[in-house]
Amino acid sequence: MKVLALPIEMVSYTDNNGNIKPVRFRMQIGDEPMQVIKIDKVIVKDTERFAGNIMTVYKCQSLIDNVIKLFEIKYELSTCKWILYKI
Amino acid sequence: MSRLIFHIDANSAYLSWEAAYRLQRGESLDLRLVPSVIGGDEESRHGIVLTKSIPAKKFDIHTGETLYSARAKCPSIVIVPPRYWLYMKCSAAMHQIFEEYTPKIQRFSIDESFLDFSNMEDLYPDYMKLAETIKERVSKELGFTVNIGISNNKLLAKVASDFKKPNRIHTLFPREIKSKMWPLPVEDLFMVGRATAPKLHGLNINTIGELANYNLEILKNKFKSHGLVIWNYANGNEFSEVRRSNYIEMKGIGNSTTTPFDVYDKDTAHIVLLSLCETVSMRLRDSKNCCTVVSISVRGSDMISYSRQKKLTVATDSTRKIYEIACYLFDNVWKGNPVRHLGVHITDFCGNDFYQCSLLDTFNYEKDIKLNKAIDEIRLKYGSKAISRSCFLHSGLNSMCGGMAEGEEEYPLMSAML
Repeated sequence: MKVLALPIEMVSYTDNNGNIKPVRFRMQIGDEPMQVIKIDKVIVKDTERFAGNIMTVYKCQSLIDNVIKLFEIKYELSTCKWILYKI
Repeated sequence: MSRLIFHIDANSAYLSWEAAYRLQRGESLDLRLVPSVIGGDEESRHGIVLTKSIPAKKFDIHTGETLYSARAKCPSIVIVPPRYWLYMKCSAAMHQIFEEYTPKIQRFSIDESFLDFSNMEDLYPDYMKLAETIKERVSKELGFTVNIGISNNKLLAKVASDFKKPNRIHTLFPREIKSKMWPLPVEDLFMVGRATAPKLHGLNINTIGELANYNLEILKNKFKSHGLVIWNYANGNEFSEVRRSNYIEMKGIGNSTTTPFDVYDKDTAHIVLLSLCETVSMRLRDSKNCCTVVSISVRGSDMISYSRQKKLTVATDSTRKIYEIACYLFDNVWKGNPVRHLGVHITDFCGNDFYQCSLLDTFNYEKDIKLNKAIDEIRLKYGSKAISRSCFLHSGLNSMCGGMAEGEEEYPLMSAML
């Protein structure tokens, strides 16, 4: 996996306890066409507090172009932004 | 029963916080590993080094020097603007971790705290292990390193945390003073700064040990009460409590600013003084005090400063009154040279619950008090920019000057008292 830190558009699901689950997202790398990725499985969910900034980290798995890929997405609580951190 | 005090200090705080924040958001460069500094805004002439990275230290870059000279020493240096809201967040997160270990914490400044672990032997049998845990937690959870100094009092703990950086734990118990603290240069002692140090050198005192063993009478004669303080500090005598709040009874309120441009005429200088008086007097009224001494300080573009003060016959908390005196002082002291820095300072407080009028004054106090009250309330409710005097329009100056950047009122500042 390599660090990408790409801002992405996300469809997520929040349950009545405030737990957020990413469902699928859309991204564009450089000039390539937009790509929609469905998140098949969230493997680990973790919270990091580096520099006091709270981010929820999801390690996920999806089938992209018929290959199972692992990647990491992050949700920044203070700005409500999603980033594709590593893929 | 002996006390046990930790002093925890974030290593190059602003810089490592910025670095951790950037790494979290996916930046590949770690600012701590390259020559880099956090620097103020050069445009508005606040361009000085606030914090430096350890590689920047190798280029002989010091905190407080201009960015211009830092760039001259190291052309490839990375300069990052400060982000005060981030520092507040980091400091709060660090404090939150400390609170899990002891209730007695003194936030000494934004990046350092004193923690009191006295009489907690049963809870924490091994202080080294405890320090290790705290240090590891901060670096793992928050992504930056700290230095921890351990001793029996706040002074020694503070000296200890300064020994070797970064990411270290040091002890400095009274039995170790001789071997660990006394060989250090006298400048490393708390409260020995650029004014005291040359005087001490004049007495042939170069290390802390020499100061500790010097004749106290001579020190008292030369430095008055400060001599006793630093002599005690050099001997490791310090007994102050770890105070939960860093608040000390106020003796004075001051505010100063470096103007964005050199001031050449009296009228502009008066406007700057007015903006300083606005903040100072608002803080004065907020503390429910009146002042009887007003002083101003002026620094010319040649970097030479001078100041004047005046004792008032009647105590006051009025913006206008303080402003009039500041202007009077300025007109008397100003030699006509370009001014780059102005300050207003008020001292000698008394309560503001009643007001002594003067027979010789034509000033309408009742009306002025009402006006100030109304303005203060508007500013508290709608922000400091909600109402301002018309002379600030198109002047290029802020109507309330000095202090921290916008919205940083909660920023904990370091004081000269432990």
